[in-house]
Amino acid sequence: MNVAIIGCGGMGRLHAEMAANCGLRVVACADAVRKAAMSAAAPYRAKAFENPMGAIKSKEVDIVVITTPTPTHEKYVLAAAKAGKHIFCEKPFGRSSLECKRSIAAAKKADVKLFVGHVVRYFHEFEAIKAQIESGAIGEAGWVKLYRGGIYPGNAKSWFRDYAQSGGVTFDCMIHDLDWVRYVFGEPKRIFCQALLRKTPTQLDYSQVTMRMKNDVIATIIGTWAHPSGFRVKVEACGSKGMVQFDSSDAPVSGEARKTASGPTMIVPMSPVAVSPYQREWEDFLGWVEGRSVPRVTAQDALRAVQMAEAALQSAEKRQPVKL
Amino acid sequence: MTKIGIMSFAHMHAHSYAECLNRLPGVELVAIWDDDAKRGRKMAKEFGAPFVKDRDKFLARELDGVIITAENVKHRALVEAAAAAGLWILCEKPLATTVKDAKAMVKACKKAKIGLGTAFPCRYSLPLMTAKDMLDSGAYGEVYSVACTNHGQSPGGWFADEALSGGGATMDHTVHGVDLLRWMLGKEFTQVYCELGNQFHKETMKTDDLGSMNMEMEGGIQVSHIASWSRPQSFPTWGDVTMEFICENGVLNVDAFNQKVIVYNDKTKHAGWAAWGDNPDLGLILDFVSAVRDKRDPVISGIDGLRATEVTAAAYKSSKTKKAVKV
Repeated sequence: MNVAIIGCGGMGRLHAEMAANCGLRVVACADAVRKAAMSAAAPYRAKAFENPMGAIKSKEVDIVVITTPTPTHEKYVLAAAKAGKHIFCEKPFGRSSLECKRSIAAAKKADVKLFVGHVVRYFHEFEAIKAQIESGAIGEAGWVKLYRGGIYPGNAKSWFRDYAQSGGVTFDCMIHDLDWVRYVFGEPKRIFCQALLRKTPTQLDYSQVTMRMKNDVIATIIGTWAHPSGFRVKVEACGSKGMVQFDSSDAPVSGEARKTASGPTMIVPMSPVAVSPYQREWEDFLGWVEGRSVPRVTAQDALRAVQMAEAALQSAEKRQPVKL
Repeated sequence: MTKIGIMSFAHMHAHSYAECLNRLPGVELVAIWDDDAKRGRKMAKEFGAPFVKDRDKFLARELDGVIITAENVKHRALVEAAAAAGLWILCEKPLATTVKDAKAMVKACKKAKIGLGTAFPCRYSLPLMTAKDMLDSGAYGEVYSVACTNHGQSPGGWFADEALSGGGATMDHTVHGVDLLRWMLGKEFTQVYCELGNQFHKETMKTDDLGSMNMEMEGGIQVSHIASWSRPQSFPTWGDVTMEFICENGVLNVDAFNQKVIVYNDKTKHAGWAAWGDNPDLGLILDFVSAVRDKRDPVISGIDGLRATEVTAAAYKSSKTKKAVKV
């Protein structure tokens, strides 16, 4: 099968590599910035497009990967569905739950597979935590804490810095943890959120959530784009008979160069694993496309994650909890 | 010689306070009273001070001040009795379990013209004092957000009996974080949201053992605080006090008790943390003794205890109403 990458930033190039690893052909790379499209296309001898619609409509394309800024996801999902292509959409699914619902309806109508990349479900450490909880190692789980983030992503002109587009750390980054908590502990009941969403004097965002689940578990979730450097993930789940903890800063490999050309940057620390979580996510998606299996995460799950993030931002504005 | 008595060893912090009194020069632990005579006699033996069974006789002894480390709900009656006897008082935290009690205690001490202190030893923790100095230096600029934790293992006993403790982990562990932030930032709390429950110990207790709070301070500072008894028996230490400050010019992290060596012991088949940091209780007791001597209020006053109690009360109210409530 042949793949088109729509949006050739970091995630677009990563998904092109994963698709190629799965034996797929990357045939089209589209980006409004021509240079980005060309450099993404080069390793695969793919065709570079400035107009995403050209790539989406291209006859040889079977799968469209959408890795553009969040508010543009819907229009590309709709176009891809209309063109009869299967879709891999990066998270967040859309900038609003309404956009997500229209996307789901379009994929259903066109009878194409629509997958949303909630990759945290595929991370080895998160699988291990879930397995420990489900094995009864901590007894009955009562509280979970997740912490994720580091430096504010993107350069000064990046869409990440426009809260209307990205939704800040709550919508773009914490959505991973909102999804994972629901994946492991079931549906949420209500959510309370405090978010900084600062623009001046320095742009930074820090989000603190308390969420009550229907099964009575309490979740505390912190997302940060307020740190001067780095990226860190911490997880802690406590139960009646024990607790399980993870901290990405406690990694098997660590190094520090004496000099870096570009200064501090957003480095995602990844413990080396034989098959990366992104690769596993692709294998799961392809299993579904080829009719071999049902994926771990559905578009409906991704819609729920967007609804939770929306509720969080609504709570932050009202300074009161929001029912889900 | 400053003469101090201890009223009740119900709270385990009394052991450390008694040790501090015995270590400090110019102070004498002169008597111990306890409504549990067996415990009182044992402690009297351990710390080398006479046990006095009758409360009035205890208060009538030659004393300058008392440390009250009874069960939370008994604080008010003991503070009022000691105040009436004209004694300086250091009361274990939480000062009271209700705002009404806390106010009455502050009022009684004011009327008796004696000093009332609340035992918030964390203010004398060197890592936390260092963090305050760093914030005060201005290098970090304005503080925007803070994420705090005060986790612990379940203390069991009367702590888990609401009739004596007034509440669970939220009652026990909210006041530390609240007092630290009031002290470090010089601002009051204005709003509290709290989800709490018995999340881990349904089989052994009825009180809450975790409160997850989102609070606001003056100027809109956003604060999360976890008050919990979530640490299992197999955890390598009793718990923690941690704070992450998100500031204009950077991020500041404190893990107040992270001065430790890790011990692997085949006898216990268990990894443990042995703490080597300075004991913050010593600073607390030293200030109290100085306050008694100088006839002044302790640095951490009854008002500080009252303010922290107000926030805890708001947290419990929020968990009932399921709304963020004003302090």
